[in-house]
Amino acid sequence: MNDLIELSKEMLTSGKVSVILGYTEDKITKRIKPVIIRKPEESEKLVFNHYAVNNLAVYLKNLKKLTKGKIGIVAKGCDIRAIIALIQENQIKREDVFIIGANCNSVVLNYDDKWTPESSQSKCRTCQLRLPNMYDALIGKLEDITFPPSDKLTFIQKLGTMTTEEKWDFWEEQFSKCIKCYACRQVCPLCYCEQCVAEKTMPAWIDSSATTRGNFAWNLIRAFHQSGRCIGCNECERACPMDIPLSLLNVKMGMIAGAKFNYQHGISTDAPTLVGNFNTDDKEDFIK
Amino acid sequence: MEQYILTGSNLKKLAENLLILESNKGEASWNLISVSEDGLQYQKVMEADKINLNSKAAPTKISFKEYFLPKSETLFYFKQNQNDVELSDSKLTDKKTVIFGAKPCDAASVPALEKVFNWDYHDDFFNTRVANTFIIGLACEYSDEYCFCNSVGLSQNAEKGSDIFLTRQNDDSFLAKIVTQKGNDFVAAFKVFFSRMNEFPESAGCMKSPEKESLAQSRKFDYQSIKKRLDKNFADGFWNTAGELCLGCAQCAFVCPTCHCFDIVDENCGLNCGRRAKNWDSCQFSIFTKHTSGHNPRDNQNKRYRQRIMHKFKYYNDKFEEILCTGCGRCSRGCEAGIDIAGILEEIEQLPE
Repeated sequence: MNDLIELSKEMLTSGKVSVILGYTEDKITKRIKPVIIRKPEESEKLVFNHYAVNNLAVYLKNLKKLTKGKIGIVAKGCDIRAIIALIQENQIKREDVFIIGANCNSVVLNYDDKWTPESSQSKCRTCQLRLPNMYDALIGKLEDITFPPSDKLTFIQKLGTMTTEEKWDFWEEQFSKCIKCYACRQVCPLCYCEQCVAEKTMPAWIDSSATTRGNFAWNLIRAFHQSGRCIGCNECERACPMDIPLSLLNVKMGMIAGAKFNYQHGISTDAPTLVGNFNTDDKEDFIK
Repeated sequence: MEQYILTGSNLKKLAENLLILESNKGEASWNLISVSEDGLQYQKVMEADKINLNSKAAPTKISFKEYFLPKSETLFYFKQNQNDVELSDSKLTDKKTVIFGAKPCDAASVPALEKVFNWDYHDDFFNTRVANTFIIGLACEYSDEYCFCNSVGLSQNAEKGSDIFLTRQNDDSFLAKIVTQKGNDFVAAFKVFFSRMNEFPESAGCMKSPEKESLAQSRKFDYQSIKKRLDKNFADGFWNTAGELCLGCAQCAFVCPTCHCFDIVDENCGLNCGRRAKNWDSCQFSIFTKHTSGHNPRDNQNKRYRQRIMHKFKYYNDKFEEILCTGCGRCSRGCEAGIDIAGILEEIEQLPE
């Protein structure tokens, strides 16, 4: 961790960044949690390990409003995809952030799990970005780890073989648990709308009630809004207090975007976004 | 109050008895609620075998409050008939419900909530549900770094809110202590399943009693001293960053046994009809206090987090001499940003009195 702490001290002392957004260990619960470091000496608190699950990119947009100067952010490869996506979608500028990329040896799904390759998140098992693809500084060391196959991809394949009725039954049971706490939205780095469609009242597009109708409307509309945008950090699913496997929807939509348009979001800051771009050769004729 | 023994086999028979189908309706005569196998929630059970009385399990991820304050409750229905609007009541069932194995940190929330639902307005929906529900509490043998019931005047053996309180014995049986008149009525109605202590002479004297045994749980703070600090420090600089890492979802409020804020909305069920519903709401949402003018008095998460603490540990105490916290630790266990309410309260205890 010394490279991270030294880097943070140096960046804050020299004024190259105003704050460092990173991870620390809670004194009581021992949980690894987000922290904002403002003074060089506070850098000692910083840690990075298998339990650094949070995608800190979710804080960038608001923190930028409160901060003069650059924000240093400790980020895993998947988190950096969210930062790139935010730049692609004009929510932050590349020069707003100093990215402290972390060589990532995978993270656990639940804070309280002991890390093993088997307890690592599904997203980690097929991750191509353990060495981040964009950073201003790099910390940590990649280890050679053999992961079990992604249970999520297996499950998505299984869902694909179900009939429409079976899929409906599956999601009806899952969505019946939804309590409309919007943890999925709040923890998502790409759910940054100033006013969410779920908050519109004139007209109310989505029933705010946590009923079958309201829950289907909310969860499916969110999945549509994430189509071709979700960068697969899995934070929505991790945050869901009711254990709804939300990322199944987002991963599947991402697979479709990849197959139909050969597009992956959050890979290059220069790439036009999928839904913010058009091609006159599009096979649909509405564009002509 | 009297104490009985409830053996494992009698517990099963009791549950089977409560689940006997009513011939005219084709459904069980009672609603039975118990902790789901995955530990996620309190759930309706249809088979006696599914009664889960694991005293060593962690609290469910979400409390049982939905059985008193559903996440969406219809207040009434409306229908337009030409120039007239026809209203019809939402009928509450008078079916009795038993919650088996409520954690003390769940059961204690009901008396706390009864205060606000019977203050200036008597909430029929809440009160009817409470009146029809029997809470069978279960002494808790679980403790982790998020638990702090000892710091809010409760304990793993607190009987508050329970009608009958069970303490697991070394074998598969329970010591059943009657706590309320309602609990007494329940035992009287099903007395064949409850054995008197003197029927177990061999075990006399070695019964685990709820008063004596309690798991070690270090006290994290003193809620009365928190109150004194909150009385004085509304404008303290502490609050300026207290909620800076809070993402503003309502996970904490919705899993909480005592958070009870609600929103009232009209929703259509077709072109000319609809229902008025009462839905869970939370002070952690930015739109919670947003005025129609666009002004928002709690315009950042720090202010919203202060409200959460103030309402739980000061305002409710000022008004009802109760606090809105049972120390279950659910809000912290589930917080995606890793915010630990007990840690925040420990910091508040350091503020000037």
